[in-house]
Amino acid sequence: MEPLIQINAATKSFQKNKETITPLDSLSLDVAKGEFLSLMGPSGSGKTTLLNLIAGIDSPSAGEIRIHGRDIAKLSRAQLTRWRAEHVGYIFQLYHLVPILSAYENVELPLLLGKWTKAERKAKVMAALELVGLSDRADHRPSELSGGQEQRVAIARAIVHDPALLVADEPTGDLDRESADAILKLLSTLAEEHNKTIIMVTHDPKAAAAAHRALQLEKGQLVTSGHLLNHMPT
Amino acid sequence: MLPFSYALRNLFRDPARLAQTVGGSAIVVLLLVAAVALNQGMDAVLSSSGSPRNVILMGKGSEESIQRSEVHLEAEAIAATSIRGIQEQLGAPSISGEIFYQAPLRTRSGVEEQALLRGVLENALLVHRSVSLREGRFPQSGEIMVGHLAHRKLGVDPSETAIGQSLHFENAEFTIVGIFEAPGTVLESEVWFDRNDLATLSQRDSLSSITIRLAPTADFDDVEVFTFQRNDLELAAIREDHYYDKLGTFYKPIQVMTWVTAALVAAGAIFGGLNTLYAAFAARVKEMATLQSIGYTRKALFVSLIQESLLATLCGTLLALVLAYFLLDGQSVPFSIGTFTLTLTPSVLATGVITGILLGTLGTLPPAYRCLAPTLPTALRSD
Repeated sequence: MEPLIQINAATKSFQKNKETITPLDSLSLDVAKGEFLSLMGPSGSGKTTLLNLIAGIDSPSAGEIRIHGRDIAKLSRAQLTRWRAEHVGYIFQLYHLVPILSAYENVELPLLLGKWTKAERKAKVMAALELVGLSDRADHRPSELSGGQEQRVAIARAIVHDPALLVADEPTGDLDRESADAILKLLSTLAEEHNKTIIMVTHDPKAAAAAHRALQLEKGQLVTSGHLLNHMPT
Repeated sequence: MLPFSYALRNLFRDPARLAQTVGGSAIVVLLLVAAVALNQGMDAVLSSSGSPRNVILMGKGSEESIQRSEVHLEAEAIAATSIRGIQEQLGAPSISGEIFYQAPLRTRSGVEEQALLRGVLENALLVHRSVSLREGRFPQSGEIMVGHLAHRKLGVDPSETAIGQSLHFENAEFTIVGIFEAPGTVLESEVWFDRNDLATLSQRDSLSSITIRLAPTADFDDVEVFTFQRNDLELAAIREDHYYDKLGTFYKPIQVMTWVTAALVAAGAIFGGLNTLYAAFAARVKEMATLQSIGYTRKALFVSLIQESLLATLCGTLLALVLAYFLLDGQSVPFSIGTFTLTLTPSVLATGVITGILLGTLGTLPPAYRCLAPTLPTALRSD
């Protein structure tokens, strides 16, 4: 099966105070379509840098990042923005919901970039909220939701435009255990039942255990090639 | 693009900031509107006060100011018979020898204020065509008529310059028998005396100037030639509109000061507003980055920030224009040679609206740039 993500010798480096910092050093990795992959490692190991490169938030200094066979490292900033709008859903640790918008309006944001009609948008938003179990909270603002509910709205926002790839940066890092478990279950469902490819950065071994595969990074390099934790998609 | 409602709702995210932005832009717009109205009003009254068909004969060497000018009494009759092309009305030449004097007048309530006094005979109405009696009649000896804005120059209530009231000059009492208007000219602030009364009280045996109205076919050169031919009268001729133009240059420094003052206060308000916007946008760096990660372009976010600022500054502009309507429009402002009226003309209003738009757009550029400039990974990590 052809991998959805192919990373070949990706390096990210930048200058700081005349010193070259290399958060990611010639890293190579393949991720299959529908795979739920967790990235672990100490702070500064390059987890978030790798996540940002895969999500098209950042560009590598060298190497290739192929998603669906297309090297996104070669895309301009404007092209990357368009590409993200179509192919990526990003889930943040602190949800990053727009506080002045309702749950419905937050989830609708990615759809406003497409050519859907208002009725189509409504159907998609309500379906996404239904999937995360919050269709009854559509009119609530983020301040009126619990942390777990906010993260579920953020997940609905990430999946509403049906991207193939979901990236999550410590999605359970700010939640209590019960809410974290619910989020992890939701992510597993998205991978297994909706065939989403999910890359998740986490410090939490229990969260990592929810993934199909967990990788360990240190000093910008993979220190383990990953081990199978759960059933991989076939 | 982000929906317009996003910009609209962001306005109300922080009511204190909204109040600061609206208030700051209202101050800037109101100041500029006031400065433009002030300068336009002064320019308008000076340009309307002089007629291109009128020529003023003044004492040679005192062309800068009628008040300092001295003209022989007999020069009026000589000019009337010697200059070709003087407009005639019912056989009478349109020529008016006048005494112009600035001195304190005392009102019934005891207010004593500098006033603009003009000693005239009835033929003054032949040359000052803009003057018309609003009430009453032309004054005889012991009487005066006042321009309908004279009370502003005197700083008293209009009731103190109404017909039947009296004004005191040099211990003599003068009864007001007429109120005149001369729309848009400095004459409306003047107090007109019988010429002989003013000559006696001011102890003058000369005129200040002779104003001549030329026939449409006549030429200014005819008057100038007369001044050369009658060198003994020591006269200089100047077109009335040119005289007021020259007065306008005298007031230019005051107009510049108006602009400088408005600019300085406006600059303070602009910097305050910029500071508010910097703080407001800095708090939303992460939100902007989130929207970029979703797929919104920087251009779309920039447009949304501009929309938001424009909404606030245009609210401020609207507030400023409403305030200007109630506080400035129609207000008469006295200055040394008369009174002018502040008017919210289309160009004044346009200045206000353009200022509001510039504040909302150009003023948003630096804080918006600072908000959108960081790279996405940096912005997403910001606090």
